[in-house]
Amino acid sequence: MSGILLDVRNIGKNFDAIAALSEVSVQVEAGERIGIIGPNGAGKTTFFNCVLGVLTPDTGTVYLASEDISQFPVHERARRGIGRTFQRIELFSGSTVRDHLLIAERIRRGTGNLWRDLTGRGKPRIEEIEACDHVLDLLGLGELANRPIEQLSLGQGRLVEVGRALMTQPKVLLLDEPSSGLDHQETADLAETLLEVQASSNFSIILVEHDVELVASFTDRCYVLDFGRLIASGATQEVLTNPVVREAYLGENIS
Amino acid sequence: MLFASSVAEDFLRGILQGLPPGAVYGLIAVGFVLAYKTSGVFNLAFGAQAYISAALFFHARNEWQWNVVVAFTFAVFLVAPAIGLILERLIFRHLPPGSALAKLVIAIGLSVALPHLFELLIGFEPVGGRTPEGLLPNGGGVFYDPFGVYPLSRNELTALVVAVIATALLTALFRFSAIGLQMRAAVESPRMTELNGIRADRVAAFSWALSSTFAGLAGVLMAPRFNTLAAPDYFNLIIVAITAAAFGRLMSLPRALVGGFGLGILIAQVDTFLPRFSANNSWVKAIEDNVTPAMPFIALFLLVAFWPPLRANKDQVDPLSGVDPPPQLPVAVVRTRFMTNLTHSVGVGFLSVVGFVVMTRADKSWVFLVTQAAIISLILLSITVLTGLGGMISLSQGSFAAIGAFTVFQLADRTGMSTVLAAVIGALVAAAVSGLLAIPLVRLGGMWVPIATLAFASFFDAVVVKLPFVGGGDKALIEGTRIPRPVIGPWNLTNDKTFLVFVVLILIVVSAGVIAIRSGTLGRSLAALRGSEVASQSIGVSPVRPRVIAFVISGFIAGLGGALLGMQQENVNYAGNFTPYATLFWLVLVVTLGSRTVEGAIQGGVGFSLFDRIIFRGDLFGWILRDPDRVPGFFPVSAKWRFVLFGLSTIGFAKHPEGLVESGKRKSHERMERRRARREARKSLEGASS
Amino acid sequence: MNPILTLESVSANYGPFNAIFDVSFSVNPGEAVALLGANGVGKTSVARVASGLITPSSGKTIVDGVDITGARPHRFVQAGVAHAVEGRSVFASLTVEENLRLSFQRVFGRSGVPTAIEKAFSEFPALERRRDQLAGKLSGGEQRMLSLARVLVEAPKLLIADELSLGLAPVIVKKIYDQLARLRANGTALLIVEQQVGHALKLCERAIILEHGRIVWAGPSNQATERLAMRFTEK
Repeated sequence: MSGILLDVRNIGKNFDAIAALSEVSVQVEAGERIGIIGPNGAGKTTFFNCVLGVLTPDTGTVYLASEDISQFPVHERARRGIGRTFQRIELFSGSTVRDHLLIAERIRRGTGNLWRDLTGRGKPRIEEIEACDHVLDLLGLGELANRPIEQLSLGQGRLVEVGRALMTQPKVLLLDEPSSGLDHQETADLAETLLEVQASSNFSIILVEHDVELVASFTDRCYVLDFGRLIASGATQEVLTNPVVREAYLGENIS
Repeated sequence: MLFASSVAEDFLRGILQGLPPGAVYGLIAVGFVLAYKTSGVFNLAFGAQAYISAALFFHARNEWQWNVVVAFTFAVFLVAPAIGLILERLIFRHLPPGSALAKLVIAIGLSVALPHLFELLIGFEPVGGRTPEGLLPNGGGVFYDPFGVYPLSRNELTALVVAVIATALLTALFRFSAIGLQMRAAVESPRMTELNGIRADRVAAFSWALSSTFAGLAGVLMAPRFNTLAAPDYFNLIIVAITAAAFGRLMSLPRALVGGFGLGILIAQVDTFLPRFSANNSWVKAIEDNVTPAMPFIALFLLVAFWPPLRANKDQVDPLSGVDPPPQLPVAVVRTRFMTNLTHSVGVGFLSVVGFVVMTRADKSWVFLVTQAAIISLILLSITVLTGLGGMISLSQGSFAAIGAFTVFQLADRTGMSTVLAAVIGALVAAAVSGLLAIPLVRLGGMWVPIATLAFASFFDAVVVKLPFVGGGDKALIEGTRIPRPVIGPWNLTNDKTFLVFVVLILIVVSAGVIAIRSGTLGRSLAALRGSEVASQSIGVSPVRPRVIAFVISGFIAGLGGALLGMQQENVNYAGNFTPYATLFWLVLVVTLGSRTVEGAIQGGVGFSLFDRIIFRGDLFGWILRDPDRVPGFFPVSAKWRFVLFGLSTIGFAKHPEGLVESGKRKSHERMERRRARREARKSLEGASS
Repeated sequence: MNPILTLESVSANYGPFNAIFDVSFSVNPGEAVALLGANGVGKTSVARVASGLITPSSGKTIVDGVDITGARPHRFVQAGVAHAVEGRSVFASLTVEENLRLSFQRVFGRSGVPTAIEKAFSEFPALERRRDQLAGKLSGGEQRMLSLARVLVEAPKLLIADELSLGLAPVIVKKIYDQLARLRANGTALLIVEQQVGHALKLCERAIILEHGRIVWAGPSNQATERLAMRFTEK
């Protein structure tokens, strides 16, 4: 019981008649990096949505630090420590880079006091700005802080998403295909940055990814989904050499 | 036995009685769904288009003495599609697909502008007492009574038959023809349609011509139902039609028709079987008398708020929207601090001069107009909060303002309370109603919030206002809904200039509040939710709370504004100030001028109140000529032009979705930048030569 | 013989990241060309200019010997250029069958549609099971399959394939490249825009590398790997 931080038990979810997920259980220990791989439509993003509460699973329970969070709405789960990035990046158009982090910082501190807003004292304070800039510097976005989000490249946009999620000081960070649309160099840079940040603030990471190289180098353990079922799990190196996995995921014929 | 058979007979009569109005509802509902399906526009101007064809047909028959066939062909098959084509070409073609809210606002603008424009061009005046005729000779005079319980007129039968046949034809068009598929594809993504080798612009033009022809047809067929042809009646019918269309989830034509019939029959049955609880208790009686015609509004609100299948209807995002260049940034972000301070000082200076002139030189009527401008600006700020910051559209701001005004009236009338205190209470009541209304709505997103609030506004208009403890009932009919001006300490607000100062002070406080909210947590949460709901939730922003708070604040501001408007006029004057159709125009003003900024709302208020006097009545011209008597003869211009002008300014909005004020700022900013660049280039040239 | 597609010193000024400058190249019939480069160098903009989605600010687009610079995309399609766009390239609000019908109606006429649809389904049996489902409900891989199914039956002169492998599992990417190879064997020229260069270089004989909106290298694809590797070592 000791180290398990996120415990997802027997999640099942059907769309119409199709089972998107059935009986999927995943455990994550504090500080661990795990991977989830599988072909498209295997249910990886559905799994994330069930963990964060964007979708309500038909069966199963989600525990975060031994607390059952299955009934909580998305923003409550987020406040309890689940952070997330998105496959297709989801940014707030019309805001600057720092604005993205600032709102997350505000919500975390819980100072949504309307009276402060009304009396004009709701403007960002120095310590809030400093907290944001600290994370921006970590991610190498320091110089872009005042840039409007529309002027960023895809790779930078992904970093902003990571920064925004980090501001909530997550216990678990869910990364949904962070390498999608990035080239090799950008992917490597992103992985390096993530490792550095994780080392300094010690949270767990769940990574959904198609880039096998990244999964192999980045994660300790990994789970394989196919047609909504777990077909393998274990230490990443072992899983990636498993012949069943190689056929289902990499399309290699084992004859 | 006798009893049972009479109930059955009543029931059958109810059905037959419900069929003719049901056919009309179904006809517009089908047209409405058609427009939505083929052009992606939630076309609230559909009623206006129907009205124009109907009025044109009427006018051609009566004034120009045209033959029926000629008049019908001209009004329905020539003018109606032409209007559709013009709208497509001038406005809707320029909008990116998926911008459902922008399209909705434009449609609202058009629903106000088109009827007025038509009336001005043709010289058409709605005339009471002359019932519009139908297509067939003596259509209102020949009756058929197949079951011996309820006679149907020839006009009604025509509408019935045409509704059924037209729906069948359109359904077949979608099922079997190539163009049906192409229209649906072009709504989702014109560019991807082009990549399939299809001319998307022609498809869109055809869509508009088709649905507009249908609007014309529906308009002419339903005209005999009205005693007088008037645009607001057609607008109200649109709300009924939306209810019928909602039964078909806005997608199915046959279901929309069935929904229309169902609604017609429902109303007739309620009318027949509604128990009479009390003939004495005035407020129960007020409900009993008015609830029947309000059934569609209740049904619509309940459907939108609580029927899950409707919510599944989300707009598809155009996968090729990335082809458009990214939106430009607000000028306030890019310009230098010096320029910002300069603009602000110039603005404050200008307003001070105006204030000084008004306080020292202006006569009573001018003080009245300026006060009105300030109050309307205040009300429009409620839209800035909701639409500009929250990205939500409410069409019941008129009702919230009316709640504020009526509360002051009732409290002052019953308790003699100070109207200043009463105004605060009124604003709080409006805020509470607004917040309660918002709770089931804010997660629906997109166009459902405006539709549900429009249903609420219509219900308020049809039932709530008639309640004696709101609108004053019979007593108010005789005495009016009077509101006295208050006296605060040494200030007697019955003095118009003192009252103006009072109003301006409130406007300044509220404006400062709105600006503070925009940069505070609430404003940031709303901006985040507008940008991406799911991402905001993932950092802990509740998708409900900030939006409900925005509704509460907006309701408070609207209620306060309504109370002040009542104080100014010393009367609530509901019919003149707050009806749903009249207050649609508020939204058009704010959104076209700029919903994000306080300036947008203030310019809207000023435009709304002063444009008529300054421009149309020729006062400006007279002032320039230094002689009011020498103003040319074509002044005063009809006040209808105001509606046409602002309504059509939505065309500008199509090209500058950030609002006219913002786009004006951008232009001047770009001009300044160019000038500076030239200057620097010259300087460096001189530096090089010397 | 004319090249299918020629871009003549094309420039397009499009947002802060997608601008391209003075881009010239051509694709000959039956040829496969890979367009490579890092994120945001303007690959997608080149693809969009080549299919008429973007009108270039200067330069010419010549399709099959005819200059149709500035024409609308449907003219490009009629001239034989098909474009499988980046991301979702099907109509989410239409069913799988309607997606196919929409395009086949134009190419094969009303009577040819059923045969064409059957042909598409015989190439992609997985789609037949979903024929009445909304295309928006398909998985990412199935959506790519659907857009390829259409192209495969119509056999255009040139297919512009923009990031077809994006976000897809290796097993599906493999299948898609198998289909592209078949398309090519039937005589369709390919312009393949890719971030993941491995598959693209195997399929194409020529490669073009973009940097900051300009062509910095063009040559046989077996030398492209070296050139691409250089960029990383420079950093």
